[in-house]
Amino acid sequence: MPKCTINGKEVEVPQGASIIEAFKAMGEDICHYCWHPGLSVAGVCRLCMVQIEGIPKLQIACNTEVKDGMVITNQSEQVKDTVKWGLDFHLINHPLDCPICDQAGECGLQDQYMQYGKYDPEMAEKKVKKHKVVDLGPTIVLDSERCILCSRCVRFTEEVSQTNELGIFNRGDRSEIGTVDGKPLDNNYSLNTVDICPVGALTSKDFRFRQRVWYLKDSDSICPGCSTGCNVKVYFNEEGLWRVKPRYNAEVNGHWMCDVGRDTYKYVNKRARLLKVRAGQAEYWEDKEVFSAVMEAGRDLRESAEKNPNSVAVVMTGQYTNEEFKEFFDFAAGELKLTRFYHWMNDPAHAEDFDGLLYRGDKNPNTNGLKAEAKTHGGFKSFEDLQANLGGLETILVLGPENQSQFDDIKEKVEMFGKAKKVIWLTACGSEEINALRAPSVQIPMKTYIEKAGSFTNYKGLVQEFKRGTTIVEDALTLSEVVTLFRGHELDYKNRPQPLGGTKKNHFTEIRGQL
Amino acid sequence: MSYQVKRTEATSNWYLPGILTGLGFTFRKMISNLLHPKDMPTLNYPEEKYQYGPRFKGNHVLTVRKDGSIRCTACMLCATNCPADCIKITAAENEDPSVEKYPISYEIDVLRCVFCGFCEEACPVDAIRMGPEWQTAALNGSNFAYDIQQLAYRPQLKGGVRSVVDDQERHHAGI
Repeated sequence: MPKCTINGKEVEVPQGASIIEAFKAMGEDICHYCWHPGLSVAGVCRLCMVQIEGIPKLQIACNTEVKDGMVITNQSEQVKDTVKWGLDFHLINHPLDCPICDQAGECGLQDQYMQYGKYDPEMAEKKVKKHKVVDLGPTIVLDSERCILCSRCVRFTEEVSQTNELGIFNRGDRSEIGTVDGKPLDNNYSLNTVDICPVGALTSKDFRFRQRVWYLKDSDSICPGCSTGCNVKVYFNEEGLWRVKPRYNAEVNGHWMCDVGRDTYKYVNKRARLLKVRAGQAEYWEDKEVFSAVMEAGRDLRESAEKNPNSVAVVMTGQYTNEEFKEFFDFAAGELKLTRFYHWMNDPAHAEDFDGLLYRGDKNPNTNGLKAEAKTHGGFKSFEDLQANLGGLETILVLGPENQSQFDDIKEKVEMFGKAKKVIWLTACGSEEINALRAPSVQIPMKTYIEKAGSFTNYKGLVQEFKRGTTIVEDALTLSEVVTLFRGHELDYKNRPQPLGGTKKNHFTEIRGQL
Repeated sequence: MSYQVKRTEATSNWYLPGILTGLGFTFRKMISNLLHPKDMPTLNYPEEKYQYGPRFKGNHVLTVRKDGSIRCTACMLCATNCPADCIKITAAENEDPSVEKYPISYEIDVLRCVFCGFCEEACPVDAIRMGPEWQTAALNGSNFAYDIQQLAYRPQLKGGVRSVVDDQERHHAGI
């Protein structure tokens, strides 16, 4: 454990740690582009310069190991001057694209120029023009002019995704990022290159020009896309959720997440969601007020369970939180004495699949939590049992998946459940598949993962808590709230979480047309 | 508890001299206005109009490029800077790679606008200006939400005001 002094403060770092890691561990400011904690050291940007006592020239912090007794500073005039000029060199060919650049607002170049910049460039030559709006693949657009050639994305495809699509082509000031023979950058981790790009050279097609980042608020959450449970940051505003980005957690996902997980923002937004209770059956559905309709469905459920607990079946998916499952089992198994519980998984045969990095075959974030909770209440029955007893069932209560796109067998299941006398389907999103239910049914709108707090148990049994980010559909319910209403209790309507307020609107704006 | 309202006594019942003084002043002004109409401080508004200075901040104008397309790049700096929160922009991707981003809709709620000119100051490409127009009446309140058609191509602008920041010129200059 070597000891060193950084900016006058003594610090002990692990053996083999680089100076920049020591800076980061201390929370000291240091200018850098090419260094990324999840990637190898390249040492190409030359901005993380530090002065080490006893060494005449400045050294780069990312590629210098801390030795015992080193006295390091990056506050000296010499370092500041070097960083200032280094930044100016980076900006020689960087276009003035900030107004149309998606990175503006969270751009490393902007931030560091504000702090260390020279402000009066002395470059008299014209800027080198390169390719703009290069289509790199199904998810990413490249702007070569903005690229500062830090090679983070190239190292990412080499080291992390190990797909080796990207490379740096040509030489000198004509160097450009590109793919070999124009092959597309198409892998399940491609959007991580957008995250690690310190400038706006790589932009996501999905998020491009949709929002300015300074309009977005963020919140920590857990990705519900698969059983890995990557730690994520969700970005939202009053219009809805706009993107999902990974958050560092060494135990689970490191710095990365997959592209499938990033798509989970799509079903969260209002357009895809079920806003009211939908009651009826195939070809005829009507919308009903949520709270009264759920209470009514609960009353029917309790009645049929009192007559015969075996006439009610519960089909569960691992897409709800541990807390919700506990409350639900307390109600269903404890109070109603139900015994028929069934576990619906997206693809049980491939549940153990793993791509070697993050993405797993089990597309439910909380399968383990559900299984553990079910074990204490008698466990699950197989679907053959449900098939055999369909005729005698009064009600099927389906705790449906919020991420329906991952459930390929939803059509078969809808057909199967439709043979019961009544179906109560809890779902976040309305869909054509569910609307095909043949039996008289009630679809109850549920909250999605960013609208509730709780915890998921991931594939290796790690319990990860997450907070509520925002509320998108006000009337949607959590499973705990559904249980409260099923019990016949009222909710605390006044104190339910509200969506973010929209733009401060003039009250007369709406009626203006009639004035 | 009861309240008693105290009234101040009228200091004098002699109101007639005051009224006569006032009437005299009015009459004197009327005569002088009839004799020297040019010295009147007021304007006969619909017929005569006040000439504001060239820096007057009136209704907004969106400028256009040489080819007549809208200059705005939908960077949202004006909307961010707007203290009245009256600008609403929806950005979209342009097929032309040299343009890239443009506003598919740009709305200003003029009744909310406080005409501070911050949008004009924030704009990096001279896409929005405060024009000279100030007489904007409408029959219906809904007509005060100006869209791109109104902001950039209203008849008074005669095909649009050219922006002084030109991308192609910038490109040739190597910026």
